[in-house]
Amino acid sequence: MIRREAVKSVVGSLSRKDIVVSANGFVSRDLFEVKDRQTNFYMIGSMGLASSIGLGLALKNPNKQIYIFDGDGNILMNLGSLVTIGSLRPKNLIHIVFDNSSHESTGGQPTNSSNVRIDMISKAANYKVFKVSTQNKLKSLLKNIKKIRGPLLILIKVEKSKYVSKRIDIEPTLIKSRFVKAINN
Amino acid sequence: MKEIIQRKIFDYLVKKGIENFVGVPDSTFKYFIDQGLEKKLVIITTREEEAIGITAGMTMSKSPSLVFMQNAGFANSLSTITSLIELYDIPLLFLIGWRGYLKDDAPEHIKIGMIQPRLMKTLGLESKILTDDDWKAACDWAVKKISNNKFCALVIRREFLD
Repeated sequence: MIRREAVKSVVGSLSRKDIVVSANGFVSRDLFEVKDRQTNFYMIGSMGLASSIGLGLALKNPNKQIYIFDGDGNILMNLGSLVTIGSLRPKNLIHIVFDNSSHESTGGQPTNSSNVRIDMISKAANYKVFKVSTQNKLKSLLKNIKKIRGPLLILIKVEKSKYVSKRIDIEPTLIKSRFVKAINN
Repeated sequence: MKEIIQRKIFDYLVKKGIENFVGVPDSTFKYFIDQGLEKKLVIITTREEEAIGITAGMTMSKSPSLVFMQNAGFANSLSTITSLIELYDIPLLFLIGWRGYLKDDAPEHIKIGMIQPRLMKTLGLESKILTDDDWKAACDWAVKKISNNKFCALVIRREFLD
């Protein structure tokens, strides 16, 4: 399974009100191409901070589900956020890491996600953790997670791919203003 | 800055509608943070960029937020300020300590203390200094800025050595 296919499956399981924050790089581009939604916050900079922005949203929107679309390079850059999330334990936070063990957006250089256990680190930080690597398992997991109390971490092993989704052609201030309007409605 | 003033500043900002105080502590404004901890309105993070991310999420949820840090942490945060707060135009209120304001502060604070005002200016991060006598006007200025959807900063000078 490549990341774009995994993104498509997760997006297919979302309801209209669910909020998504997606990390900079190809994750955001995949999300934008698969399904642009007003309640998607696409990051195009500040690598590593999707999980932190997601925490702020989760604390202030307790009646909505907050999905964080992260990459392995991104979460490895902000492991501290796992500590803060695990301390505050927002029940509505679903943290998805699309793990291809590489910095695909910058040319496929390796990350260290194949040498350390992101799942175990997250577990130690009070997350409930799920690991999948096939479409079938991902789809059946997605059917059940809405009933489970967060914070949840879903580690999806994906393969590298030559396919590159299109660039996000919305101005950052517009990404923000329509997002703010949609989530506060 | 006096303990009583620091505590008053915290209470005043709460009264003016600031709902969240997130960051990494600075002894320069220890009592400001203590006041917030006692009222359970403070979240301490592992790094300053994390605090900026969290408060960005809170601010976009229409919950006015303050992020606090030392000037060392401000230096850590430059890219987050340019590529998140400024790029998306998120009205966040910064509170930054000014170590190295006194020329004989500890050596690690001297350089950043020297360039802090110029760094803030170069970034386009408008700021006012909080003082014992004039803190209310500076708070009013900052609250007005963020209610007009502009990010800005308040600065507390380190006027003692330990």
